[in-house]
Amino acid sequence: MADKQQQVVVKRARHKSSVKDPGTPGVLKMTKDRFTFMANDPSSPVKLNVEFRTIKGHKFTKDGTKQALLNLTQDQGGNYIFEFENFPDRNVCKDFVASAIALSGEAGRTVPEKSAVPIQDEQLSAAEMERRIKLLQEDSDLQKLHKQFVIGGILSEAEFWATRKKLLEQNYSRRPKQRVALKNDMWSTKPLADGQSNRVTFNLTPEIILQIFAEKPAVRQAYLNFVPNKMTEKEFWTKYSRAEYLHSTKNVIAAAAEAAEDEELAVFLKQDDMLVNEARKKIRQVDPTLDMEADEGDDYMHLPIQDHGLPRNDNKDVLDSQYEPYRRSFSQHLNQHAAVVLQGRVIDVELGDTRSVAEALARTKHAELAKDASDVYLDKERLERISRMTEIEDLQAPRDPAVAPLSIKDPRDYFDSQQANAFSTLGDTVSGAKQLKCSVSTREAYCSLKECISEIKFQGLTEPTINSEVAFKVLNGLAQNISSNKYHLGRNPNESILDSLPKITREELLLHWSSIQELLKHFWSSYPITTKYLLTKATKLKDAMSQIYPKLQEIKESVQSDLRHQVSLLVQPMLQALDAAFAHYDADVQNRSARSGERPNGF
Amino acid sequence: MKFQIEDVTVYFPYDNIYPEQYAYMVELKRALDAKGHCLLEMPTGTGKTIALLSLITSYALSKPSNPIKFIYCTRTVHEMEKTLSELKLLHNYQLQHLGPAAKILALGLSSRKNLCINPTVVSAENRDSVDAACRKLTASWVRELAAENPRIPTCSFFENYEKSASEAILPPGVYTLQDLRAYGKLKGWCPYFLARHMVQLANVVVYSYQYLLDPKVAGIISKEMQRESVVVFDEAHNIDNVCIEALSVSVRMQTLEGATRNINRMSQEIDRFKATDAGRLRAEYNRLVEGLALRGDLPASDAWLANPALPNDILKEAVPGNIRRAEHFLSVLRRLVQYIRGRLQTENVEKEGPVAFVASVNTQAGIDQKMLRFCYDRLHSLMLTLEISDTDEFLHIQTICDFATLVGTYTRGFSIIIEPFDERMPHIPDPVLQLCCHDASLAIKPVFERFQSVVITSGTLSPIDLYPRLLNFNPVVSRSFTMSLTRDCICPMVLTRGSDQLPVSTKYDLRSDPGVEKNYGKLLLEMVSVVPDGIVCFFVSYSYMDGIVNSWHETGLLKEIMQHKLVFIETQDVVETTLALDNYRKACDCGRGAVFFSVARGKVAEGIDFDRHYGRLVIMFGVPFQYTLSRILLARLEYLRDTFQIKEGDFLTFDALRQAAQCVGRVIRSKADYGMMIFADKRYSRHDKRSKLPGWILSHLRDAHLNLSTDMAAHIAREFLRKMAQPYDKTGVMGKKTLLSEADLEKMGNSNLGEMF
Repeated sequence: MADKQQQVVVKRARHKSSVKDPGTPGVLKMTKDRFTFMANDPSSPVKLNVEFRTIKGHKFTKDGTKQALLNLTQDQGGNYIFEFENFPDRNVCKDFVASAIALSGEAGRTVPEKSAVPIQDEQLSAAEMERRIKLLQEDSDLQKLHKQFVIGGILSEAEFWATRKKLLEQNYSRRPKQRVALKNDMWSTKPLADGQSNRVTFNLTPEIILQIFAEKPAVRQAYLNFVPNKMTEKEFWTKYSRAEYLHSTKNVIAAAAEAAEDEELAVFLKQDDMLVNEARKKIRQVDPTLDMEADEGDDYMHLPIQDHGLPRNDNKDVLDSQYEPYRRSFSQHLNQHAAVVLQGRVIDVELGDTRSVAEALARTKHAELAKDASDVYLDKERLERISRMTEIEDLQAPRDPAVAPLSIKDPRDYFDSQQANAFSTLGDTVSGAKQLKCSVSTREAYCSLKECISEIKFQGLTEPTINSEVAFKVLNGLAQNISSNKYHLGRNPNESILDSLPKITREELLLHWSSIQELLKHFWSSYPITTKYLLTKATKLKDAMSQIYPKLQEIKESVQSDLRHQVSLLVQPMLQALDAAFAHYDADVQNRSARSGERPNGF
Repeated sequence: MKFQIEDVTVYFPYDNIYPEQYAYMVELKRALDAKGHCLLEMPTGTGKTIALLSLITSYALSKPSNPIKFIYCTRTVHEMEKTLSELKLLHNYQLQHLGPAAKILALGLSSRKNLCINPTVVSAENRDSVDAACRKLTASWVRELAAENPRIPTCSFFENYEKSASEAILPPGVYTLQDLRAYGKLKGWCPYFLARHMVQLANVVVYSYQYLLDPKVAGIISKEMQRESVVVFDEAHNIDNVCIEALSVSVRMQTLEGATRNINRMSQEIDRFKATDAGRLRAEYNRLVEGLALRGDLPASDAWLANPALPNDILKEAVPGNIRRAEHFLSVLRRLVQYIRGRLQTENVEKEGPVAFVASVNTQAGIDQKMLRFCYDRLHSLMLTLEISDTDEFLHIQTICDFATLVGTYTRGFSIIIEPFDERMPHIPDPVLQLCCHDASLAIKPVFERFQSVVITSGTLSPIDLYPRLLNFNPVVSRSFTMSLTRDCICPMVLTRGSDQLPVSTKYDLRSDPGVEKNYGKLLLEMVSVVPDGIVCFFVSYSYMDGIVNSWHETGLLKEIMQHKLVFIETQDVVETTLALDNYRKACDCGRGAVFFSVARGKVAEGIDFDRHYGRLVIMFGVPFQYTLSRILLARLEYLRDTFQIKEGDFLTFDALRQAAQCVGRVIRSKADYGMMIFADKRYSRHDKRSKLPGWILSHLRDAHLNLSTDMAAHIAREFLRKMAQPYDKTGVMGKKTLLSEADLEKMGNSNLGEMF
């Protein structure tokens, strides 16, 4: 199963007994079923050789934090902590461990067994495999089924997944990985100044750098141009911080003076031309009902002073126009920041490498602008949007029913809640009928009793009308049934009969239910039997089902008497379904043998 | 739905109608029947526009023998787009029910900048340069030259349009600006000139106020509109300001310098023509002797902004003899510029009336009133003669002539104010000469006279009796409608104190108090954590907004606000503001919503709706008074007091409160919508201020909400939002219908409608 994945991972790491522990340096080696740790110092007592089967979970520190830690927790409660030299190393190990743990539960056993499964012709890509593993991990029921049938040898891997193609595809294409958005936090340009010296410190993390690049394309461009040919990364950021500092002092003249001396610094201090150009392109796509820029075209009153009595406050040219490019308003920054956050994380690159981040951003920006050129589709969408917006909604009946797409993450939850609904909607058929019947039957009972009495009155008592013991039993049963039903009905509709069962029985029932479902699905799909392969499959499935059959009976009998009726109601459809399958199988076998008997005669 | 109002069958594109929409239509119909003007106030969020559109189009349809034209004026281009898309909806409905008989032609008209599809022209920076770039390709003399010399570029779209001549018409339908551009691209015709042409034939025209109010524009665009038109000014609460601005001019030092350059350039041109083509100048002279008469017979592409004075005010006479010759006219202009420059040298603020000004021009520069009055047309003629197509370079001299014509034409309702520096920055010399109009009725007078029905409508026209006085007309119908609400879907509050119980206000002495700034910030912070989706904040001015946002940033309050929502802000750069708004909407469409900081009286407050989830709460920080030290305002107040007996204080409060009401009114679009409004200033709790708010806000302003502190407001907000989240019956409760179906309307007929309101 894991043969398409990386077989072995070897990384330098330190083993630590606790987080505070400085740790023993050494080499961590991971293979698909175990990991070993050898300390660099051969005399060190630390030496590990652990199977992944015993590992239950793993934890790790966030990227960009102080230490690159990976913590593997063991079944018995122990754990192994490793510190890596850098985050990429750690992430490689983390991913490996994750898949190894997922596999270890079964893969340890599957691999040998799988060779026994006759058809194993499909070549799976690593991604495909990963997806399947992920699905299994997310869904415990699926995992159980997988274990029972695939590993039990009843179904092949391919057969098992063939019925779940949709699940796979959906997972693959429809649901992109949820990504963490950018923080809505302006990088405060407030430098940390210590009181004594004249030094100010700025604190830059990869996250902040990403933000700066996204918000200020000019800085990004400058980075790509200057680093590392013209200056080192450190110099670059020092220069940038200097520019920010100048801005924070709001001393436009000083900024201009510095910029005049240093052309690289000037890049940061001047207004961002790229943003201006971008804005010009974007303005064409704006919803025309918002487009205030278009108003300027109709404004024939050249009256900048008197804007409906709005006081004039374009902070009058205190400065000459030569300083104009160096003025930057906070509001501009605010808008740009919010726009970037709104756009979200457009790139999917490791944050550590500044250059690749810058390049990736530049690429996506470029692609985006290129895409904008062909805006036929956008136009249409915009028009639809406008016409939707113009309608006054409450004068009109709602256009289409408000439905949200159903997304079932955990089928167990879903079916639990649906069970109750199903029972109530099924109404007259299964359990609803029972409730109804109960309430009716009291009256009926009364009526029949009355009839009996009148009959008796009329005819006089014959011998004992009804055996008193039987009558008592019936009445008692009725009373109990009514009261228990009342008790169940009064409560939350989400609670079904299942909840009243003991936990073990419930689990067992559900497990059987799902496995029968699975088996039946495969069973029926293998008809009509045209090949030998299908025949063996059907036989195998039939055998598996017949194994479950007695188990269901067993459950039925094992439960307490007051619940037996309910359980039998639940089990009954399963049994019926199985019976139908068996009947079909038998008929088919007979047919087949008859035909095979006929054939020699016919020819 | 379809229903009958007296003899008119009204087609209304929805299944239901609000009772006040119905009542509005009834009143409007009466005004149309009476062929008179009307003034209608109906709260925002009751579907005014669609009621207007469907009544007037249905009215026109019901009288096919005598078709009326429908001119709909909006303040902004984006409102124009909105109106047209509502009209589209209505038109589709009418087509469905009436068939081809309902076909109309409706279109929006804007400047070249918004309609041009020639990529080289439209890429120009602003309107004037687009206009100039267009003229360079389409002016008659350029095309004449191009006919001889194919290397001179022309505009293929315009040429195609000219070639198809009479065939170039728009088929019936509703055209937004975008549709016009798309149609132009499809046919290869210039959409601008096509639209200009089709305006004469269209049933419905939607354009900006200024196309009717600004005499310069109205002179060329709207002069041929028939009398049987219905003119609607929507969102007209600011119409007096627009009228005033249409007739005001200001001249600065830069203008004078530019004008001098323009004069020099023209005199060079004259010399060149004298040498090469003296006959042309002589022809112009002869034409001027016969009278102006140059508008009308010009090719459309040469048309220029018309005379700023009103058509009736300019006398039908020839240009005075002493400015007929080009060089004489230029020397007059030179003297005028020189004179104004001299006046700008003053050390003190000066204020005088037009008569005194003209007299002093006459004595000192030797230019009499008649010469001044003809300056604009004379300049126009000269520039055509000189074949100047880069008109955007000549804006300065146009401004000067504009000024001269106005000052030479009007003797009352104007004043000239010369300020040597800005009041707030006395150390920086920045002289400015302003000709300001005080009388709003001057600009709108010809509109009232020319068209049979003028409808002035808005969500806030309170007090409704003030507008007829300001605009000097007699409406046949003047009504203010209240809103019939299904539930209390608006929740106005007056917040007077911060969480520390200290008063908050933007009063001059309090506005920069750090305590007030902090309290305002805390209020917003409290609200962003309570209110879902969009929040809009209005401040009293740009400088105040910049200041307070910066201080919130420094104290870390902004950071806390940003933990809850994204923050966008209006700037004086329109492009940036538009993009910020677009992003704001996107942010409200998904996720936790956003906050938009804006300025009362700014561009956003004027025309952008924050309905539904785009605005669940508006906070008005402070009372948006005008800058009361402004000389222009003082002069206007004085004029109002003398002519209309309106007290200064009353007018200022009226003006501030209508702005505030306008800002907060943007949150409601329909009765299904809901929103809160916080007036955060202690002055709102005073009766004289509060009572000027429109009735539909006042009726929801409970006494308990008149004097709140931040924590109380947050509590009320929580309660209100919870209440609004509950399902409710849209058709109204307890016998009071707030939504009428076709059957309801039939049942009640017209008789008992009055009882409902």
